[in-house]
Parts: sequence; structure tokens; C-alpha cells
Amino acid sequence: MTLPRLLMMAAFLLVLSGSYLAQGRGQAPPRPMGFFVTSVGIGRGGDLGGLAGADAHCAALAATAGAGSRTWRAYLSTQARPGQPVVHARDRIGQGPWYNSRGGLISQHQSQLHGDTLIEAQRGSNLFKQFALTEKGEVVHGVGDPMPNLHDMLTGSQTDGRAFPDSADRTCGNWTSSGAGAAQVGHSDRIGNGNTSWNSSHATTGCSQADLASWGGAGMFYCFAAD
Amino acid sequence: MRKARIVAALVLVALGSYAALAQQRPARPNPMTFFVTSVPIGDGGNLGGLAGADAHCQALATASGAGDRTWHAYLSTQARPGKPAVNARDRIGTGPWYNVRGEMIARDLAHLHGDTLELARLGNNLTKQSGLTEKGQIVPGLNDFPDPRDNDWDWVKTTPYSNRHEMLTGTQPDGTAFPPELDDTCDNWTSNKDPDPSLPPGPLTAAPGKPNAQIGFPDRNGGGNGSWNSSHGTRGCSQRSLPRTHGVGMFYCFAID
Repeated sequence: MTLPRLLMMAAFLLVLSGSYLAQGRGQAPPRPMGFFVTSVGIGRGGDLGGLAGADAHCAALAATAGAGSRTWRAYLSTQARPGQPVVHARDRIGQGPWYNSRGGLISQHQSQLHGDTLIEAQRGSNLFKQFALTEKGEVVHGVGDPMPNLHDMLTGSQTDGRAFPDSADRTCGNWTSSGAGAAQVGHSDRIGNGNTSWNSSHATTGCSQADLASWGGAGMFYCFAAD
Repeated sequence: MRKARIVAALVLVALGSYAALAQQRPARPNPMTFFVTSVPIGDGGNLGGLAGADAHCQALATASGAGDRTWHAYLSTQARPGKPAVNARDRIGTGPWYNVRGEMIARDLAHLHGDTLELARLGNNLTKQSGLTEKGQIVPGLNDFPDPRDNDWDWVKTTPYSNRHEMLTGTQPDGTAFPPELDDTCDNWTSNKDPDPSLPPGPLTAAPGKPNAQIGFPDRNGGGNGSWNSSHGTRGCSQRSLPRTHGVGMFYCFAID
């Protein structure tokens, strides 16, 4: 074997190993937590201190789990009221992909999360009980688990992730009421009320902490990293 | 052990509430018209065709006192020379369907399959709690009794609480059969063959020359989606291949009348 040929082979091997290494790095992209279920509610029923209070709750819990550097948003809608614009939950949470606290994919993008096409809606996203973990990595108790059932997640949203257009309250007065009103909830375990909706299964009656508990919830909600 | 005790306690609680319900309602209003087979046929994806699968449904229903109805397996077959495709959704009547406890699984075909965007987003009522066998058992699902051996048929067949949540369907999310090119039905439920073991395993989808079946989950957990009827494919069609992705060859049965 001539020297030039040896050199060429060596160069070829170098290129090969280089691309192999690059591939190795590419195979394990970072999967930082971009989704969690709040491990606790705020404790005042549907009064979350508005969207700002809910977002702050998300950020504080994320910080305890070492994920405080991201921009956290509660998955909540607010309804159009005098002096208050409508806010759609889906417009608050960035574009994904979102991973849970163990690096499991929740959804690749908005369209998968909300089922924007029929086939996506029929299949569903990866937001199911064993993946919808708290910031501590815990599965949230749902139907069939030891009581209390905590599966009601406040959303105030329709199945497409948008606010309700009507005058009826679905957001506990845009997340300021711990008394009268109602909140639309989804189920983190995808069980209950005859459907499997994660974000819009039914409305509560009342907004106190006890009202929410009577339906199977504790005023918990979903948090997403928007960045 | 602790888990086993919890499960035993849950079963007792479930039995207790069932007994309480039965006391309140002596005449059960909604007889069973849906169940998950409590046991597989046992030869992988070879179910003896649709006729064999229907007979399995009928036999299990009869053993639990529901043999007076006409039972069909929720399975599609693909078009083959001289044989048109059969859609699972066209085999199961029009509903509503109830489980052994009288809980509604779906009102009608549109509710079951999510025929409109809103219906599909909401989903039907087939869940881990309602997707019961004809004996009233919950089907063990994702993360139940995890063990490194729970991909091994020898372990799974003697460990009734290990995950076995993959239901054979051979069906697309809308309840229709797949196009004929690839195998999504273990050769229309007659094959127990596996792919050439020298080939790399590849993704859990149909592929040229690969014996394969599409599956769904009664616990709605797994596969990158929660589909009850069309989540992903299998590693092959033998009885030993199905547990490699947490199935044993069980399927859904519906009463058509």
C-alpha cells in the first residue's frame, strides 16, 4: 500500500469517525422540562390571582425543580369581560415541543396537543396519565386511585384550547373568584364525565376550594414553558 | 407485595361499590355489549381469521352469561385478491355499548371513533376503568407492575398483573381497514409468523415483508398517543413477539344486536 493511499484511508476513517461522533451528539438532544402539572393548587379555589398569579405559581414550582430559567405559563383561558380582553390558553404556551419532568414527550406541537386535524384528534397527544407528571415527577391521582381524586385541571378552555365565547362563567371570574362561578376543567388521567378530554371535560359548580374538591380536584393546573 | 395489597384492597372496594350499586338497582338496565377478551387465543396474530376471533368473543360471552347476543371482534381485514377489505367499524352494530358494569363505552359509531373534530377531541368513554374484560377485570396497562421480564411471554403468561394493554385491531383511527400494500392484520388474522430475525427490528410500523398488526390501548396510555384502536404496530405476529411491546393478543368484542 502506497503512502498516499494510506493517508487517504486515514483521512476517510477520520471523516467517518467525525460524522459518527456528530451523530452521537445529535441522537441525544436536550429534553428540558417544558410541561408539568402543579403538584399543589394555590389553595384558594378558583382564585388564582388572575393569569399573573397562576403564572407565578408555575414559575415558583418550576424553580423548586431546578427549571426556573424558563418562561412558564399556566394553561388557562380568560373570557372577554368589560375592560378585559379574551385570552386563549393555547396562545400562551409557545409552540412546543414540550417534555415532562422525565424527558417524556407530551406533544410535538400545538396541532398534536389540541388535535387540530381529525386524525390528530382521533389519535390524541401524549398527555396521558403516566406522562402528565408534576414538576416533582409524580403521577397525579385520578379515578381508581386512593382518594382524594385530584384529576380536575383548571383550564377555562374549550377542547380547541380557546376561551368560551358566551357570557356564562367558565373561568371563576377570570381566575379571581373563590366563591360563586364555575370553571371548565380537563382530566389529567383522561377519565371521567364520559369523555377522555385533557382540557375540556366538564364545568364545576362553584369556585371554592371545597367546591373544586367535590368534583375531584384541588385547583391544580397545567404549566407549559413558552420558550 | 405492597402493590399487591393495594390492588387487593382496590378490588375489594370495587366489589363493594358494585354490590352497593347492585342493591340500589336490582334490575341492571344496561346489559353488557362490550368487553375486552380476558384471555388471548394464544397463537399470536393467528386468530383463525375473523370467524375464529368472533367465535372467541362468543365463547367468552357465553361463559359469562351473555351468550344470547351476537358478538363480533373489533378487527379489520385488508383487501386481498378476490376479497374486499372489511372495516372493524362496520362489524359491531350501531351501539350504544356498555361494559359488564353497565357503564357506557360509547353512544354510537361517531362517538366511539370521533367522527367529527369535536367528538374526536372529547373522546369516547373507553378508559382503563371502563375497558373491562367480560369478567369485570381491569386490563393491566402502562407502568403496572413493571419488571424487566415483562416483555417475555414466559413471564407475562404467568404474571396476570403485568402490562398487557395492546389490543389487536388492524385498524386505522377512524375504524377502517388499512390499504392493502403492507401487513397491518397478521395476514388477515391467519399468521403467527415473525420477521427474519437477522434483520434490525426497525420502527413499530408496517414494513415490506414484515408480519405486523396494528394495536390500540384500553388504558389510553402509550405509543406516543392515547389511541384506543390505532396506536402502533407490533414486532411480529408470533405469540412470543406480541409481549415484546406489551401485548398478548387480546382484542375488543362488541355485541351487534
